[in-house]
Amino acid sequence: MSIATRPLSLTVNGRKVGPIDVPDSMMMLDFLNEYLNLTGARLGCGIGVCHACTIILDRPDGRAEEMRTCITGAHFFADKSIRTVEAHAERDAQGNLVKLAPVQQAFIEHFAFQCGYCTSGFVTGATVLIERLKREPVARKDLERTITEALDRHICRCTGYVRYYEAVREVVLATPGLVKG
Amino acid sequence: MIRRTTRVLLALLVLVVALFAVLASGAFERSVVGSEFEQALAPERMRELADKGRVLVDAADCYACHTDRDGPAWAGGLALELPVGILRSTNISPDKEFGIGNWTRAEFHRAVRDGIGKGGRHLYPAMPYASYRALHPEDVDAMYAFLMSREPVRQPNRDNSLVFPFNLRPLIAVWNLIALPRDPFPAESSRSAAWNRGNYVVNALGHCGECHTPRNLMMVVDNSRHLQGAAVEGIEAPDITATGLAAMGFEPVALKRFMREGLAPQGAATHQMFDVIKHSTQHWSDADLSAMASYLLGDLPPVLKAAEAAAVKPEVTAAGREVYLGVCAGCHGVEGEGVPNVAVALRTNASLRLESPRNFLQAVLHGLPEQDFPGLARMQAMPGFASLLTDQEIANLASWMRAAWGGRAQDVSPALVAKARR
Repeated sequence: MSIATRPLSLTVNGRKVGPIDVPDSMMMLDFLNEYLNLTGARLGCGIGVCHACTIILDRPDGRAEEMRTCITGAHFFADKSIRTVEAHAERDAQGNLVKLAPVQQAFIEHFAFQCGYCTSGFVTGATVLIERLKREPVARKDLERTITEALDRHICRCTGYVRYYEAVREVVLATPGLVKG
Repeated sequence: MIRRTTRVLLALLVLVVALFAVLASGAFERSVVGSEFEQALAPERMRELADKGRVLVDAADCYACHTDRDGPAWAGGLALELPVGILRSTNISPDKEFGIGNWTRAEFHRAVRDGIGKGGRHLYPAMPYASYRALHPEDVDAMYAFLMSREPVRQPNRDNSLVFPFNLRPLIAVWNLIALPRDPFPAESSRSAAWNRGNYVVNALGHCGECHTPRNLMMVVDNSRHLQGAAVEGIEAPDITATGLAAMGFEPVALKRFMREGLAPQGAATHQMFDVIKHSTQHWSDADLSAMASYLLGDLPPVLKAAEAAAVKPEVTAAGREVYLGVCAGCHGVEGEGVPNVAVALRTNASLRLESPRNFLQAVLHGLPEQDFPGLARMQAMPGFASLLTDQEIANLASWMRAAWGGRAQDVSPALVAKARR
């Protein structure tokens, strides 16, 4: 019995990818890890709970959505545009790292992670939050609750969340226009 | 001529108002509580009965309404959000000021079986006294004994906020004249003992008909359509007659398992039914679960047929399956086989076999909370897909899944999905 495949085309980190023949029922995480060698999104629980596997889906209306790739099929992303954790840092024309994104830099400065397995998910979640706050700023008094709601579902088993939390708050407060009042 | 007509109309109006006032006075209400219950139970009798009462109070699911989420047990306060306002359950702990600590045996019986509280105040029929009316008096005694043995909670009852005229309790007396039929589900000597016990467990204790039987315009349970299914808070409480249960794929073993564990190949209990199982039916004895199955499915249960895939247009199959593989298969399995403690099997799921796609669409659009079931089983939260999928995508998904796994051929239209979003 052969595995049924279909051609898949999409935009990954600003580049057109495909068409590539991809099995019908393959999950997006396997496609990113095995076909594109983008290994930043990680298989943790495999049942959509831990959020180590998340990436950003850019909607046509400008909104960004965090998606769990371990439970979402690769073909769901056909003709859509996504960003993985590999896309956030600034790179030169040769692809060499120039500068980390503010959230990534803050995580390092705050010693936010230890083993790092969950980190790409936290970078993804925090990035989606910051982009949302650029469109829809929150009142200063609601910031702590907003961060908790946005990142609550991400699971970390090493450092206990506080350093991640403080790093995100620092970036939000240091970026003009994300907080009102 | 005109003056005469006015006079006649006025007279008629006075007559109608007077008639209504007489009806609302409760003068025509018939109590089923005899004078023998005025006799208090001796303290040692109360102690003897309390354990039996615990089982009965569980079986009748008093807890689900009379305890607020995270509130003290039996102290009431749970808000029931009705189309006509908010109704709050009352404190039935034995506190003498705020609970039922000062209620006599007869007053308790009248509340449970007549719907009339201490001092003659009419209870709202959210309290299922229309069903409890058929409770055996000795069972009501045991419930009274159990509740009086609980810890008193000093928590005042909170006011209801119902709109006029639903805030007028005397009107319930009029409703009761219509809504309290004389023994609607009598014992049948031609049936087995299990069937007759099941009749009592289903109709009186379990008060299943309060949700599963449709109501008429007067909100009176329409017993001519007994247990044939009704919509409750936007969710369908499905047809649980023998025919309805068989259509969902239930036979006695699976039905008993579902009512004990909240999980069966037919799916997981959700919404209010999850609370019913969590607080009540998981505690039913094996004999009562069997009796329930005998009553609902009959002494000779219908022979089950597996749902045969119904024909559906190839383009709907392709489009529906694509959505399924995209956002469902990761948890529910490529072939709908499910993953234990993660997501239920869908190949055998009852929601796909129901005539109405309402419950299926609600789950897809709005998701389901994570649940822990009696025993050790649990299910992960299901995300809602209202913002991620279009009406057309959800319609294709529903049409294909219902045809492939539910045997339902009729397409679900995007318009129906749009309506379900509201």
